[in-house]
Amino acid sequence: MFRKVKRKTDGRRNFDDRDTSFDTSVGAGGFHDDLAQYPHRLSFYKLPPMEEVTLEEFETWAIDRLKVLLEIESCSARSMTFKETEQVMEKMLAKYLPLNVPSKESSSLYQERKKDHYSHFILRLAFCRSEELRRRFVKAETTLFKLRYNMLSMTEQRNFVNSLDLPWVAATEEEKTKFESQLYACSYSSVRALLRAGSASGVKITDDQVRQYLKHQTFYKLPFEYVPDLLAMRTAFLHQGYVYVGQFQQSSLIISEYSKFLKEQLDLTVRGLPGLDEDDRLVPVLNNLSKGYISAEYNDGGNSSNGEDSEVNSENVNTFLSDMPLCMQRLMEGVSVNHHLKYGGRQQLAFFLKGIGLSADEALKFWRNQFTKSMSAERFNKDYKYNFRHNYGLEGGRINYKPWDCKTIMNKPNPTKSEYHGCPYRDLHRDELLVMLGKLGLEGNRSTDDVLDLSNRGEYQAACTKVFELVNRDNIDYALKTKSGNVDQSSIVHPNQYFDRSRYLKKLREGTVGKGAESQSGESQSIATQ
Amino acid sequence: MPSFEESDPAPISPSPAPELPSSQVHPATVSPTKHQKENDQDDDDFIPENKTKDDDGDQKMIFDDDNEEPELKSSTSEIEKPSIIQQSKPSSSKSSSSTTTTTSTKYKPSSADMKHYYERYLPFKSIFLWLNHSPAPQTDFTMREFAFEYKSGAYHRYNSFSNVSEFKSTVLKAEPTRFEIGAVYPIEPKLRKQVSKNVMKPQMKEFVLDIDLTDYDDIRTCCSGTSICEKCWKFINIAIEIIDVALKNDFGFKHLLWVFSGRRGCHCWISDYRARVMDENIRRSVIEYLDVLHVKGSKKSNGGVASLNMFRKPYHPHIERSLEVLKDQFIDVVIREQDPWRHEDRYEDLARAVPDYRLTNALMKYWKTTTDRSSADKWLDVDKYYQNLKIQSFDLQDWKKEMIFKTMYPRLDVEVSRQMIHLLKSPFCVHPGTGNVCIPFDPSKEKFNPLTAPNLQTLFNEDEEHVENTSLQPSIDLFNKYVRELMKEELSKKRTRDESKENLEF
Repeated sequence: MFRKVKRKTDGRRNFDDRDTSFDTSVGAGGFHDDLAQYPHRLSFYKLPPMEEVTLEEFETWAIDRLKVLLEIESCSARSMTFKETEQVMEKMLAKYLPLNVPSKESSSLYQERKKDHYSHFILRLAFCRSEELRRRFVKAETTLFKLRYNMLSMTEQRNFVNSLDLPWVAATEEEKTKFESQLYACSYSSVRALLRAGSASGVKITDDQVRQYLKHQTFYKLPFEYVPDLLAMRTAFLHQGYVYVGQFQQSSLIISEYSKFLKEQLDLTVRGLPGLDEDDRLVPVLNNLSKGYISAEYNDGGNSSNGEDSEVNSENVNTFLSDMPLCMQRLMEGVSVNHHLKYGGRQQLAFFLKGIGLSADEALKFWRNQFTKSMSAERFNKDYKYNFRHNYGLEGGRINYKPWDCKTIMNKPNPTKSEYHGCPYRDLHRDELLVMLGKLGLEGNRSTDDVLDLSNRGEYQAACTKVFELVNRDNIDYALKTKSGNVDQSSIVHPNQYFDRSRYLKKLREGTVGKGAESQSGESQSIATQ
Repeated sequence: MPSFEESDPAPISPSPAPELPSSQVHPATVSPTKHQKENDQDDDDFIPENKTKDDDGDQKMIFDDDNEEPELKSSTSEIEKPSIIQQSKPSSSKSSSSTTTTTSTKYKPSSADMKHYYERYLPFKSIFLWLNHSPAPQTDFTMREFAFEYKSGAYHRYNSFSNVSEFKSTVLKAEPTRFEIGAVYPIEPKLRKQVSKNVMKPQMKEFVLDIDLTDYDDIRTCCSGTSICEKCWKFINIAIEIIDVALKNDFGFKHLLWVFSGRRGCHCWISDYRARVMDENIRRSVIEYLDVLHVKGSKKSNGGVASLNMFRKPYHPHIERSLEVLKDQFIDVVIREQDPWRHEDRYEDLARAVPDYRLTNALMKYWKTTTDRSSADKWLDVDKYYQNLKIQSFDLQDWKKEMIFKTMYPRLDVEVSRQMIHLLKSPFCVHPGTGNVCIPFDPSKEKFNPLTAPNLQTLFNEDEEHVENTSLQPSIDLFNKYVRELMKEELSKKRTRDESKENLEF
């Protein structure tokens, strides 16, 4: 409670300060082209826009920012590293939301900062309306902030950080000496990476260099609540409730502050939304904006895009085995061998089957057929039925769950010995994986080595995509040769995408592909067409 | 199964209050979280707790919003005294609580026993003070959620009480097999129907940890599933040692309460103000800090190269310190007592954990031909083959440290700690499957032994009327001391909090 109160007044104080300077600048001859409004390239967006913009600016600015955010989401959906994301986004940002270095002409600086400022607030309005939208908006905006923070020069970073007024205390020299070895151990890898990035490639960084670097670092003490991610990764020293944050780690802190601030602000925005509904010019624009954002999601079973696959039922689901990615094949195998699956496996498979068009009744039939071979029907009804009905939104909170994408699957607890869920490319031992690949008909050639290599390097989705290409090689070749369809060769990020793509290729081959079937090739396309 | 309302009506309202029906009467709500939790523990868990219902039960539980009241009122009188299904005294069957999935063969404390226990033994007042942080009822207690679990398996969430006597009398009337403690909400949870759903966001809750021996099944050989013995309980004691020091030294928490969960694990409640106000994001990072083994990218199932990252040298101080604890006990607890890699079905785990194919294959080959080599022998075989094959792809000593870590480091239930809406069984409840009392204990005094923990039956044999004369009393004293210290700090802190609040406002 206490912290909240303090925080609020903090915000208010900032607001007041800025407000007065704002007033004087108006008095001094209007605020057009006045860069004093945007003293830094980066901003926490604490003040809402005050000036008028045209409806056209309103819309184009928002769409430009939306494009940037969607690209960021797509990068993270493809599990790109931050470095890769940086490379992709550099061009996007220069094109849609440039923020140039201050040496440039000041009038364009003002314009681009204004566009950045306004577009941010417009999208806040558009994306505050549901929990899901808010969560995604905060995530994408936080990444954007991080990208931009890293683009700032050292001086700019320092000036910006000082303007934020955060509650940190510098650690004393005594503390630094006392905890020298701990600070060294915690900072070692990040400092090394930092030094390596700063020096010519191939140069070895010695432990002594790291020590020297740390000697001149200022460390700040902060309550651990302020740096959750440093805590979770164990990359900072924690003692008696305080985290020791090196200057070089400041960005993490600022970024988490920004994300927290934005979340609070969105919660406030949504409360103010009803007042906006009176302006009938803005509401349609905002609705359209948020709609575009939603459709990048995977469309789950039971809706029209999957209609033609509702041929799947409890009896024939096994005949689709060859269209399923390895993780699901493994689960199917697990259930047919043990006539049972543990919780994680049940969930993963059940949502997938839901996604390929198995209806709630058929799903229940399927699971009952399997499970009752190892237990009484009574026990199934008592202990499991609820679970499966719950998955279809027929029980409890009545949430219509979506099939899990690879990321969700990877974020679940890893499978133990008697469990089958998770990602085989990540969880299986090399030998077991080889056996599974053999069952797919991939044996003893060089390509299986590629797959094993990819899985070894931690590029599980790439391994899965590779397997898809190997298994469906003939069908892909056919499709490319006859140019008969839309072959999507992007990386697999969702088990149902694998399935849909496989079905689509087969149908292409059989010539039974219908008109609407393009939508079969998964959600990555709908992102691309945004 | 009898209809839901008939089987447990009493929880609903301590006194029939017709003028306030909608606020007092709630349908038992099946919580998805709770449901998942049970499912996570999966099928080895004993069943009556499982929240799954047959069709009838479901319909009732979900759709009862409109028709609950009349039904309830009419049935209340009949069910005031629930039929006592099992009259037999608890047989002292702790040791025989072996793992079967059926319930009928298992001992459960009878309703009469439970009622007597609630009436005479359970220290309601202490629990009230613990949650309330002050002698006079305040929102910390009155807006706190309690959930009841019944013999039928029904689960009734969102109970709340305005004072300790209501708390006690409701429990006595409802006779749940156990009750659980949830979060503090912005309004009294029992009034939740009167406000919009998004107001019902949890505000505060103790930070809790749950450690369970079933999560150690891949390494323990003495027992599996729900059964435990002194040998495998050592894993829990080690876990307590490691987590306790991390919470105190690293996070600076002071008010830690370790509680036996009644069967095969333990809970830790951290009641510091600072811990109670943490949001879910911070809870997640605290638990991830502690939960070294599950960190993303770790490969629990094959223990291979990828996991080297989290053990990158130099080790984080927490890892280093934990390693010191584990190293000393590894030989005794794992190698000698558990001997986990003796038999064929398990030595693969060890061989596969070696991050070098040549070495793995050589070991597998050797162990296949020689039967019955103990884990100690095999642990040394790795050294021998490492040297013979002149392996250089990894450092043997580092790998051994990793293995020690992987076999013994505490295995935590992340979701229990992270979610604020998650409920946890209250201290001093009786485990419905064993009759054991979930007593708090002080790990700094002596190592806890679950096999000698107070059990409902032993307690009644000691003294049927006066708890002071039983072996439960020391635990109650311990708990009271804990509560006193917490309240003392709370009062002084609150004073400073209020003062600074005033300073800010005026």
